[in-house]
Amino acid sequence: MDAAEVEFLAEKELVTIIPNFSLDKIYLIGGDLGPFNPGLPVEVPLWLAINLKQRQKCRLLPPEWMDVEKLEKIRDHERKEETFTPMPSPYYMELTKLLLNHASDNIPKADEIRTLVKDMWDTRIAKLRVSADSFVRQQEAHAKLDNLTLMEINTSGTFLTQALNHMYKLRTNLQPSESTQSQDF
Amino acid sequence: MFVSDFRKEFYEVVQSQRVLLFVASDVDALCACKILQALFQCDHVQYTLIPVSGWQELETAFLEHKEQIKLLIKQDDDLEVPAYEDIFRDEEDSGSDSDGSEPSEKRARLEEEVVERTMRRRQRREWEARRRDILFDYEQYEYHGTSSAMVMFELAWMLSKDLNDMLWWAIVGLTDQWVQDKISQMKYVTDVGVLQRHVSRHNHRNEDEENTLSVDCTRISFEYDLRLALYQHWSLHDSLCNTSYTASRFKLWSVHGQKRLQEFLADMGLPLKQVKQKFQAMDISLKENLREMIEESANKFGMKDMRVQTFSIHFGFKHKFLASDVVFATMSLMESPEKDGSGTDHFIQALDSLSRSNLDKLYYGLELAKKQLRATQQTIASCLCTNLVISQGPFLYCSLMEGTPDVMLFSRPVSLSLLSKHLLKSFVCSTKNRRCKLLPLVMAAPLSMEHGTVTVVGIPPETDSSDRKNFFGRAFEKAAESTSSRMLHNHFDLSVIELKAEDRSKFLDALVSLLS
Repeated sequence: MDAAEVEFLAEKELVTIIPNFSLDKIYLIGGDLGPFNPGLPVEVPLWLAINLKQRQKCRLLPPEWMDVEKLEKIRDHERKEETFTPMPSPYYMELTKLLLNHASDNIPKADEIRTLVKDMWDTRIAKLRVSADSFVRQQEAHAKLDNLTLMEINTSGTFLTQALNHMYKLRTNLQPSESTQSQDF
Repeated sequence: MFVSDFRKEFYEVVQSQRVLLFVASDVDALCACKILQALFQCDHVQYTLIPVSGWQELETAFLEHKEQIKLLIKQDDDLEVPAYEDIFRDEEDSGSDSDGSEPSEKRARLEEEVVERTMRRRQRREWEARRRDILFDYEQYEYHGTSSAMVMFELAWMLSKDLNDMLWWAIVGLTDQWVQDKISQMKYVTDVGVLQRHVSRHNHRNEDEENTLSVDCTRISFEYDLRLALYQHWSLHDSLCNTSYTASRFKLWSVHGQKRLQEFLADMGLPLKQVKQKFQAMDISLKENLREMIEESANKFGMKDMRVQTFSIHFGFKHKFLASDVVFATMSLMESPEKDGSGTDHFIQALDSLSRSNLDKLYYGLELAKKQLRATQQTIASCLCTNLVISQGPFLYCSLMEGTPDVMLFSRPVSLSLLSKHLLKSFVCSTKNRRCKLLPLVMAAPLSMEHGTVTVVGIPPETDSSDRKNFFGRAFEKAAESTSSRMLHNHFDLSVIELKAEDRSKFLDALVSLLS
């Protein structure tokens, strides 16, 4: 899967906006989007929120978990644990990136949030590398990792599977050479 | 087109249609265009953009698209207009219907009607005479009203779609008018006040410690900063030498002037080595009170207006620009003498450099601007030292020769106008002749070798309380008519014309006799 495809899936997440226009309920294939009244918060998918923000038709509210203290706690918890801890949202990385790129003026302390989320991501990717490394060394047959988000899986997944394929090929090529005779020069 | 309610009569009409935009080649027009483009993008209005550099291009482009045009709105500096009623008179019913009625009454009425008709005719003649006077006054002088970028920003504000970015473009448009000396100091200060209210409305969150915005957001702040061109992107010494204000007051084309500059720097205690370094590399201790120090010393040397009210923009950790920096950069990009691919490349490049995402173009423009400023000062120095500015009687005349270095930089109208204005200021400071100080200047520079044309620019005289009215447009027209010189009066700025080089002398003679 492409990283862009993962971002596309992430854009279905719901966020809260405060529109400055009014519109009746609209009926889309994916579901209904509630009536828009200026000044009243309404929940919409992220793709619509970003589009409206770019056209200056709304103001975005940060999701609940996008708060400096909460993120600090999660980051510290992640650093302490050996395994992966549950993340505030299955698409936390994409949401942070999109919201901070397009609507950083609506999100308080945007710089600190960006740093905290990056810290969390780095910690988790490091853990993933360590566990992949031990998996290969000990030649395990299967492993189970909880609480990984789709973006993290996607980042390391392709490389991991291709590397394992190569290693398998190399390993299977070792066996037959023991039974064949080497030619005399 | 004259409208009273900008929003209703213009934007709402245009919003639902496809729009054709003609934009003049001027930094102010570019800024207004950016604001309008941003508004159109918000509302998904389809538009086509056509840059025009003169009346002829406007006409050709108009004729090209003639079938589809319904409403024509020129995007350029507004000129002050007299009252509507004085110019256009609604055709009243001047019918004198006579219905069939009794003969005696009819006869009486006929007499009355004759009297009425003569009264009306006399009124009409008076009205026509007044109209002619008003139109003559209107067309005689050329001057500039409010910046069109500011007008567009007011439209955006009325639609509640104004952003910090648009405010910055409005600021750049206003500063362009000030840099090119198109508006009086009073008007500039008033407009700065208007914009300052908007700036504090958008940017008050910067002072709040709790809820500061991300560093990446644009921040605009009001500054009472030095008048030196590009000084934060150059070295202080270069900037002092190449700003017209300081160069003319210090008389930097003479050796005596150079000594005065050294005295000035010594008076402030700035070592020469520091001052010649790039500004960002100067010692922090020297930069701390720089503005106040320079203002004090400048007062001692006779320069009272060293500081000027302006705005600066700030985003990311590295990028800080004053409004005048952006004006110079965009101007140089638009008028750079390099080969123009499709005729509109420079325009597009200059337009792009105004958005935040194209900072590399802006920095390139700053480099070009430095070259331009240096070339301007060198040309001025050589003109004054070789006494190329001669008095023709009612005006001063100066002509740039073919072989002058960097002469190609000055064939474009805005660069030549700036050069001429600075030359006039320097000349006024250098000459002792009282009469010459009050004369206007006519400047000529070669435009193209193959066609044998020159660009001629007329600058009004340098007075303190000038309201920047320029009468040269009409004067040039009349002189050319009377001598049947081949002249192209193409530019939107009417005091700039193109003339065939052979007709130059008879044109000047006609101008002399016209103005004396």
